[in-house]
Amino acid sequence: MTFVAILLVSAVVGVIGSMLGIGGGLMLVPILTLFLGVPVKTAIGCSLVSVIATSSAAQVVYVGRGTTHTRLGMTLEVTTTLGALAGGITAILISGRVLQGLFAAILVWAAYSMMGRGRDADAALTGRLDTSFVAPGGAEVAYGVRHFPLGMAASFVAGNVSGLLGVGGGVVKVPVMNLVMRVPLRAAIATSNFMIGVTAATSAAVYFGRGLIEPRVAVPTALGILVGAQVGPRVAARTPTARLRLILQVVLVVLAVQMVWKAVSG
Amino acid sequence: MEVESRRINKAVQWTLGVGLAVSALLMIAGLVGSLAAGRRLPKAVLEPEPALQQALHLHAAGLLSLGLLVLILTPFLRVAGTLVVFLRQHDWRYTAVTAVVLTVMIVSLVVGQA
Repeated sequence: MTFVAILLVSAVVGVIGSMLGIGGGLMLVPILTLFLGVPVKTAIGCSLVSVIATSSAAQVVYVGRGTTHTRLGMTLEVTTTLGALAGGITAILISGRVLQGLFAAILVWAAYSMMGRGRDADAALTGRLDTSFVAPGGAEVAYGVRHFPLGMAASFVAGNVSGLLGVGGGVVKVPVMNLVMRVPLRAAIATSNFMIGVTAATSAAVYFGRGLIEPRVAVPTALGILVGAQVGPRVAARTPTARLRLILQVVLVVLAVQMVWKAVSG
Repeated sequence: MEVESRRINKAVQWTLGVGLAVSALLMIAGLVGSLAAGRRLPKAVLEPEPALQQALHLHAAGLLSLGLLVLILTPFLRVAGTLVVFLRQHDWRYTAVTAVVLTVMIVSLVVGQA
């Protein structure tokens, strides 16, 4: 019975996560721990599996359509993976609650910044990592990247945080790419979706090697997400950009509230 | 200006697709095996070598563990596959970038196991 519950919940999380460029870990962990009584360590292992499943399954669609900016994502992953590696050091220097508070602040900033940006008005070639993708409706959107060094630095921070909180970091990556680097929202989502898989993979592999992944929970999660994350990109393609942005804002706010609660109540 | 190259797209799509299909098949096979034996799914994964061994003997625990392991390896596969594509395109800059990412991934893996 729990198997079916996890399967269904994961399918939904997979759809939403893949639509928004996030891994679903931040949605799944509370549901697993609070409603299904799964221990935190097991839930985190599951979260990592869900991020990878969301990433790999959705990428089959996103890459196939050319929406993922592979070169940009790969470049940002240099600093992100280094950040994740350095995360262990950060863990010693900063307390968990401060980190959660910081993360919540980032989420609030991101949700707020997304307001009033109904269209990706800033998409323009910049000569830096120029590329293009075909938006739903057939129009080709060409864009370049801005504030590259800032984006790299933000990715380092995102990687740090990801490693420590056991998530893929998509909630930071999408806003940074879209708001700071001026990548159109759909491309930011697809590229973030690619990146989170890379970020979560090493942590997940370590968890696996230490026997911390529990098939009883991880298998239904994986299977549910594998289905959901293939549906998500297709649903997203039919969703107007403004609405995608709105859904993302809502999710960011909900997650921010959740993070603040955790930071405050310890 | 370049449109994200078709070659990268197709190669990556194929690699991921195969990896995910193998992973899903292994997990479903393990699921069926567990159901048939009337047993619940295990609470811990097997380590990679025992998992492979058991999977080869079609034991549910091994199949399930191996299925999860293959899933976890798909991003590594994706990065390695992209590396090969950049190499073949003689795109040295991004071959280097991708090589760095792959290296950091592997180093993190090794460090994490210690």
